[in-house]
Amino acid sequence: MNVLIVEDNKELAVEVYDFLCNAGYICKIANSCADALEEFGSNDYDAMLLDLGLPDGDGFEVLQTIRKTKSKIAVIVLTARGELDDRINGLHLGADDYLTKPFALTELGARLFAVIRRIHGFTLNNLSIHGFLLQLQDYKVSFNETPLSLTKKEFDIFQYLVLNKNRVITRLQLTEHIWGDILEVNSDSNFIDVHVRNLRKKLDKHTSIDWFETVRNVGYRINE
Amino acid sequence: MTRLLVILILWLMLPILVENVVYHHINNSLLEKKKKFIEHLNQEEINDFIENQDDSTQTFSEFSTLHSEFLVLSKMPIKPHQKKTTFTNEYRKIENEESEYRILQHHFTYEGQDYQLEIGSSLSEVNDLTFVIKLFIIIVFVVILFITFLADTFYIEYLLKPFYKIIDTKIRRVNEPEMFDHTPIKAASRDFRELDFVLNQMMDRIAEVFKKEKQFISNVSHELLTPIALLKNKLENLLQNESLDDNAVDKIAGSLKTLDMLKKIINNLLLISRIDNNQYELNEEINLREIVSDLQEDLQDRIDDKEIQFQNRMQNTFVFTGNKTLIHILIYNLVTNAIKYNKPQGKIIVEDGYDDNHYFILVKDSGIGMDESQLEKIFSRFTRISYDQEGQGLGLAIAKSIASFHHIEITVESELGEGTSFKLRFQNHN
Repeated sequence: MNVLIVEDNKELAVEVYDFLCNAGYICKIANSCADALEEFGSNDYDAMLLDLGLPDGDGFEVLQTIRKTKSKIAVIVLTARGELDDRINGLHLGADDYLTKPFALTELGARLFAVIRRIHGFTLNNLSIHGFLLQLQDYKVSFNETPLSLTKKEFDIFQYLVLNKNRVITRLQLTEHIWGDILEVNSDSNFIDVHVRNLRKKLDKHTSIDWFETVRNVGYRINE
Repeated sequence: MTRLLVILILWLMLPILVENVVYHHINNSLLEKKKKFIEHLNQEEINDFIENQDDSTQTFSEFSTLHSEFLVLSKMPIKPHQKKTTFTNEYRKIENEESEYRILQHHFTYEGQDYQLEIGSSLSEVNDLTFVIKLFIIIVFVVILFITFLADTFYIEYLLKPFYKIIDTKIRRVNEPEMFDHTPIKAASRDFRELDFVLNQMMDRIAEVFKKEKQFISNVSHELLTPIALLKNKLENLLQNESLDDNAVDKIAGSLKTLDMLKKIINNLLLISRIDNNQYELNEEINLREIVSDLQEDLQDRIDDKEIQFQNRMQNTFVFTGNKTLIHILIYNLVTNAIKYNKPQGKIIVEDGYDDNHYFILVKDSGIGMDESQLEKIFSRFTRISYDQEGQGLGLAIAKSIASFHHIEITVESELGEGTSFKLRFQNHN
C-alpha cells in the first residue's frame, strides 16, 4: 500500500511518515506541489495525504490534476479549519475525506484505513482480536460465531482501539473520533468512559479481557 | 407640500395684489383727468359750470352717459390741514342708480374762491374684472399644480432612475465585496455616473481589504495549527513509550489536554472572525427540528450524566435558508450552555412558535440563572457565568455572531436560581 504524504512542514511529515510506516504502509514525502506531481509521474500510489497550504500553490490544484488521470486513489485532505472556507465540502473537489489540523495520528490511520477499504474494496472487511470478529461492513461483532449486541458508539470505540492496537489511545482521541472535532472547549472527555465501561462489560461476558487495558488518567489500550 | 403652501399663500395675497394694481391704475387715470380739467379751467367756465346749475348748491355735475364716470365741481371752503388730493371708495347714487365709485377729491383755490372737485370712476366693471382675473389665476394654479405633480412622478422618477438603480444593485444587494457588480450604470446625468464611479472605486478598496483579511485568517489558521498538529503527534507518540513512569504519563496527558484547549480556542476565534467577515455562505435549507433532534442524540450522554430531563416540544416545521454548520453550532452552544449551568435532575425545554408572525425557538433551562450584571455581558467574549465551570466563555459570543449573521434576533431572560431562557427570533421572509 503506497501512500504519498504531501506536507510542507517537514517535521510533521516525518511524524506522519513514521506512524504510517509502523502501521505497514509504504510512504513517501513530498514537500511541494511540484514534488507531489513529480512523484505521481514516477510512482503508482494508492493513497495521498494532502496539505492545502503548500509553498508553491494550492493543494487543490494538485488534487484536480491528479484526479484527471487517476480516479482510484484515496485522497485525504489535511487542513486547518480556516483554510477550507466554505469549501468545507472539500469532498466536492475530489477528496475522499478531510481532517482538520491538528489531528491525531491514530485518527488519520483510521480514516485512511476506511477510505482505502471503501475505494479499493480490499479484503480488510473484518478485524479480529482475541477471538472477537468485527465485521466492518455491517457494524457487527461476534465471539466464536456468537453475535454481540453493541451500540454504534461501542462498536466505533472497539474498532478504533483494535485498529490502533498496542497503542495508548487517549480519551481526547476517542472523544474526537466518536463526536467529531467539536469546538466546545469544555468537552470533558469523561463521557467516553461510560461507553468504554459498557463495552468492556459486554466483552467480558464472553472471555477474560485483560488485554483491554485502562491506562490510568490517560485512556485505553488494546494489546494483541 | 411646500408647493401647496406657496400656492396657498399666493392665492391669499392675490386679492390684495389685484386691488392694489387696479386702484393704482384708476388713481392715475383720475389724476390725469383732474390735471386736464384744471389746465383748461377759467372763470368763465367755472361760471358756466356752476351758474348754469342750481344756484343754491353752487354745484356742477356732469356724468358720462353710462354712469361709469362723473365729475362734480362745487364751491366749498378749504378747511385748514385738509389734504389737497384724496382718494376714497364710496357708494353714490346717480339718477337712481347706486353703485360703487373710486372718487378723487381735489380742493383748489381759483381767483380767491375755494372749490372742491370730485371725479369718480365706477368700480362695478373693475370688480367684475378682478373676479375674472381671480378665477383665471386659480385655474392657472390648478394647472400648474397638476403639471408639477406629473413632473414629480414621471419626469423626476425618470431622472432619478439611475440613482435608485445604484442604491439597489450596488449598495443594498451587496453582501460580499467580491460579488460586486462593476458594470457602470447608464445615466444621463454626469452626477450619477460620478457617484457610480466613486462607489465602484470604494468597493474595490473594500474588496481588497476583505481579501487580505481572508488571506490573513487563512494564514493564521495554517501557521498556528500546523505546529499544534506537530506537537500533538509527538506527544501522542511519546505516550506509547513503555519506559515512561506514571508521573511522566500524567504530564504528557496534561499537555495534550492543554494543547487541545489551545486548538479549540484558536478554532473558536477563527470561527468568530470568519463569521464577522462574512466568509460563510447562506445557501442551505435548514430544518430546525432536525437540527434539534440531531443535537439531542449527540448530547444524550451529557444529558444522562446530569440526569437532566430534555423535552423537545417543537411543533412547527420551520425551514429557512442559512448555513447549516453555523446554525448547528448556534443551537449546540445554547443547549450545552443549558446543560452546563443546569442543576442535577433539572430540565431543558426546547419550544417553538410564532409571535407577531415571527417564528421563534426557545431554549429554557432550570439552571442556576443569572443576575442583571451577568446578563449584560453574557454575549461578550471570554466571559463566564461562574468560575467553577470549565470553558472559555466563547460559546455565547459565537452564538451571537452566528445569530446576527443570519439576521436572527437573540435575547435572553433569566432569574437567579430559577433558570435561563434563550430566544431566537427569525425574520419573516423565506
